[in-house]
Amino acid sequence: MVSAVYFCDGKGRPILSRRYRDDIPISAIDKFAPLLLQLEEESSVIPPCLSHDGIQYLFIQHNDLYVVALATSLATNVAQVFAFLHKLMEVLEEYLKSVEEESVRDNFIIIYELLDEMMDYGIPQITETKMLKQYITQKSFKLMKAVKKSKAAPRPPTEVTNSVSWRAPNIVHKKNEAFLDIVESINMLMNQQGQVLRSEIIGQIKVKSKLSGMPDLKLGINDKGIFSKYVEGDSDPVTTAVTEGKKKTNIELEDLKFHQCVRLSKFENEKIITFIPPDGAFELMNYRLSMPVKPLIWCDVNVQVHSQSRIEIHCRARAQIKKRSIANSVEILIPVPDDADTPSFKYTHGSVKWVPQKNAILWKIRSFTGGKEYSMSAQMGLPSINALDKPKVKRPVQIKFQIPYFTTSGIQVRYLKITEPKLLYKSYPWVRYITQSGDDYTIKLNN
Amino acid sequence: MSDQRIFARYKATEIRAELQNFDAKRSKVSATKRKVALRKIIANLKMGNYNEMVLLYPEMLKFWQVEDDLEVKRICHEYVRTLGAAKPQSAKEALGAVLGDLENKNEEVQIMSLRTLSAVTSLEYINEAFKAVGYVLARRGVPQNLLKTAILLLKYMDDLDHDRVSSTLDSLYDIFERQLASPTVQVAALHTIYAIHEKNTDLKPLRLELDVAMGLLDLLPQLNEWDKAMVLESLTTSAVPQTHSDVCAMIELVLPQLQHANTYVALNAFKFIAYLLNYAEHVNEGLIKRFSNSIVSLLNKPPELEFLVLRNIILLLLSRGASLLKLDVSFFFIEYNDPIYIKDTKLECLYLSADHETLPRILEELVQYATDIDIQMSRKAIRAIGNLAVKLNEEAAHDCVDALLDLLEFGVDYVVQEIISVFRNILRKHPKRFESIIGELVKHTESVQEPEAKNAMIWIITNYSYALPNYLEFFQVFSSNLLEETSDVQFSILTSSVKFFIRNPNYQTEKICIKALKQCTEEINNPDLRDRAFMYWRLLSLAQSPKSHLLSNDSMTKLIDGELPAIQLSTKLDPVILEELELNIGTIASIYLKPVSQVFRNTRTKRLLPSPILNPNKENLKVINDGSTNLNSGAFERVPEWETIGQSDDVSVASPRRTKTMMNDYDKPAEKVNQLKGKRKSSSAGPSTLSRKPSMLVRKLSMKKPF
Repeated sequence: MVSAVYFCDGKGRPILSRRYRDDIPISAIDKFAPLLLQLEEESSVIPPCLSHDGIQYLFIQHNDLYVVALATSLATNVAQVFAFLHKLMEVLEEYLKSVEEESVRDNFIIIYELLDEMMDYGIPQITETKMLKQYITQKSFKLMKAVKKSKAAPRPPTEVTNSVSWRAPNIVHKKNEAFLDIVESINMLMNQQGQVLRSEIIGQIKVKSKLSGMPDLKLGINDKGIFSKYVEGDSDPVTTAVTEGKKKTNIELEDLKFHQCVRLSKFENEKIITFIPPDGAFELMNYRLSMPVKPLIWCDVNVQVHSQSRIEIHCRARAQIKKRSIANSVEILIPVPDDADTPSFKYTHGSVKWVPQKNAILWKIRSFTGGKEYSMSAQMGLPSINALDKPKVKRPVQIKFQIPYFTTSGIQVRYLKITEPKLLYKSYPWVRYITQSGDDYTIKLNN
Repeated sequence: MSDQRIFARYKATEIRAELQNFDAKRSKVSATKRKVALRKIIANLKMGNYNEMVLLYPEMLKFWQVEDDLEVKRICHEYVRTLGAAKPQSAKEALGAVLGDLENKNEEVQIMSLRTLSAVTSLEYINEAFKAVGYVLARRGVPQNLLKTAILLLKYMDDLDHDRVSSTLDSLYDIFERQLASPTVQVAALHTIYAIHEKNTDLKPLRLELDVAMGLLDLLPQLNEWDKAMVLESLTTSAVPQTHSDVCAMIELVLPQLQHANTYVALNAFKFIAYLLNYAEHVNEGLIKRFSNSIVSLLNKPPELEFLVLRNIILLLLSRGASLLKLDVSFFFIEYNDPIYIKDTKLECLYLSADHETLPRILEELVQYATDIDIQMSRKAIRAIGNLAVKLNEEAAHDCVDALLDLLEFGVDYVVQEIISVFRNILRKHPKRFESIIGELVKHTESVQEPEAKNAMIWIITNYSYALPNYLEFFQVFSSNLLEETSDVQFSILTSSVKFFIRNPNYQTEKICIKALKQCTEEINNPDLRDRAFMYWRLLSLAQSPKSHLLSNDSMTKLIDGELPAIQLSTKLDPVILEELELNIGTIASIYLKPVSQVFRNTRTKRLLPSPILNPNKENLKVINDGSTNLNSGAFERVPEWETIGQSDDVSVASPRRTKTMMNDYDKPAEKVNQLKGKRKSSSAGPSTLSRKPSMLVRKLSMKKPF
């Protein structure tokens, strides 16, 4: 249970507050900024929970803001608090576009209203933007158009207490469409020899629904693929072990997480994904696979340091994907020492530049066809005087890319059935696949 | 209208003028401007400009009557709430208007009014609030939102007047026992009752009838995410299964929730099932797999949530070893972009999950971190390697030592400091094994600078002087500037110089010893140090005086230079505390690994309630599989033992000797090994079976702070 929520600026000073319970002194938040400062001086480690004078400060960082929840008891559920604060930021982003110090100050009234609705005596309530938008309208910050002295003031819809709390009943769209995005992010750590040290696929299925009424959706995923293996997995482990030697896939795929609209018990028993979607965009499910993947974009980086004179970098990049596929906006970030200067480059494709603020060379290739190999070489000067015992730079090469129409795991949507029992309209499901680099697609350099 | 002008301090008269100015005209524009003026009031209240704003009460009351715009209502209510908290006596005037809103047709306004009633802490308001809540609860067909607000309000009002609230509890029971209202209202009622029971130790712990609990679990699919989690939280410890089939049925109902995207739900489902397992006959291997998978995918969340999950993994590793979670160590490998507190926590996970199988991989990672550009990280990694050498057996220690020696060649200053510091512990754990490397270590005598490293180096030189022909030269590096050292190091130097002398009394050692004794007694103002020096001095003179037979040379050697007990590193916590922490998965307590009752006396300690099928001992929980996958008997064997046999041995060996040789307490006591450098939150000891050595427990309980 949260006693109060504060929005604080980058230094930890409060901008805006909402108190839900009276069990903490008003001055408690004033301790937050000094606490942060003190920790920063002591060490660089600032955990997201601090404790002072019996008051617990739980906070998340968002842009230039600290969003702080105060609580008094150690029995406070942190999972609840953090999940709520992140949800709050999600909702605010939809209302305010970007949530930062300035926009918070601009829209403090609407934030108060939202804080009032989303939490009651420290307990999270409705957190679905679509539902909130029905009665917390945006007029607060479009001041000039605002006032309508309507007698029929918007009121919380009764659905918030119903079982389908994420969808209002009377939604109408002219064209009934549902968009499905399957996004797989690859995290991979390789060493310079091309050995994959660790790899994982994080998949997300994002849905944007523009459907009228109360549609019931049923999602089918390729039966030859992972899902059937998963179903068989329980009864017949032998065949799955044989298929492509990926014995682990059926285990790892249990790692599914679903949006609250998916009927979990139905999935549990029949392995069918059925749901009534909220209106608009949301993430239907995510999954993780830690099957071995070979690098999609591989870089052979060779760094030679002639100390006190220059550094030479040779880099060959290869797209190890099907010939028909194309990797878009490939970015290869190669670290260089922070005292390097006077760069000179030779390259065949894309563009190369030196990014001094990151101490790195950035090689951008807009489109990279499968099977192709490009190379680049760079040379930079090093100062002739060496600072003594400076620790060596141990930053990895980071690679970013996007490959459309392609999933690494082989997941495919077989069907997306949309049924609306009352309206019986025609509907159009659209599916799109994309594979991209995750946060951590890196090559370790052993220097 | 720009925000800057809203967020500025205004005088009451200015705003009043603005409000009145436009009051007369009834155009749209004036309404807008009026609202801006009202917003200014709220902004001023938030800035704490109470004295000015309180003057506007009459205007606000006027608005209350005429306006029916919801936003104006909101502002009016906010005004009363804020001022009510700051100046309760002034709010009396508004009471009438607030009560008026309670009768309003609009549900939203009614809710607002209820909230305002509870927010002002004056007697009138509280009385009215109780009346209103009673009214709402008694009436049939109240809008569900209003009912829910009233129920949640009760929980809050319990702080104010417990007796009046407890009289309404029965009607709350009815709501979910007989399923009188919509699911979410039932959850609110359940949660309110649960929270009131938790807070008031005079009530018995909440215990629900089994069919009621089952009924609530059946509701799960119909609830929104927050409510789901709240049900699971409230039912942990209050739904007590009576037979094994109850356990199975409940787990069945909750299992799907492990796959919820919201960490709050997934973690609470985890907690609930973990709680049920205390009553289970056996645990299915499939379940462990699902547990592990569910936890792993929670790691792909924003860093704060990831941190929480990692802390809870630590908790589970401490309490159940690998028996409930089977996670590959690679999940704890540090990523380049992780925030530092995540890196820190992952390091701890790596340390805890290290065993003989995983050690090579973990060691490889740790060595990587040790050469990391970040100094702190590097130190922590070295510290972890050192602790692993102490935690694991001799063979593993050998690998760790090799890794450390490689790093030592790296030669960077802080790495050397850290490695020397950890070596003392390794040598204490495996005294004979690594004699050959002493020569390697003492090469760095000149470069140790930090007090801890110096202490360690002095200790190493002292204890392995037999292996070092020119140990006195090394020692003199330190002893020659005794006066400039920190008091820690001064203590070490003093003790070591006395030891050298009694081991090998000759001209040189005597000179060193006398010099140290003199400096400590005459030139240093630290009374402890002076007293210790005097004590040594008298012991020495007592032993050497021919008349006295009180103290022979032998017994003095034993006294001052006795053999040290081997150290043990134990990561286990007291089972009683673990039981409580396991029931608190996901809470702040689980982050600090401290029991709740330690900080808040009044809160109830969560305990497992008795049931005929409660497992008296978690060790007996069998892991079985459903026949499809290969039997994993290792999981059962690896269940940790609760009795820390190693420790108690240690105590019994150490204590008798200690009573005799109090004086040679110069060495860090064994339990300090577990303590990482730097400050930590210390805590008083909880109820403990190991009360003989409370300090050890306390240290293990406290969260490891950065070193």
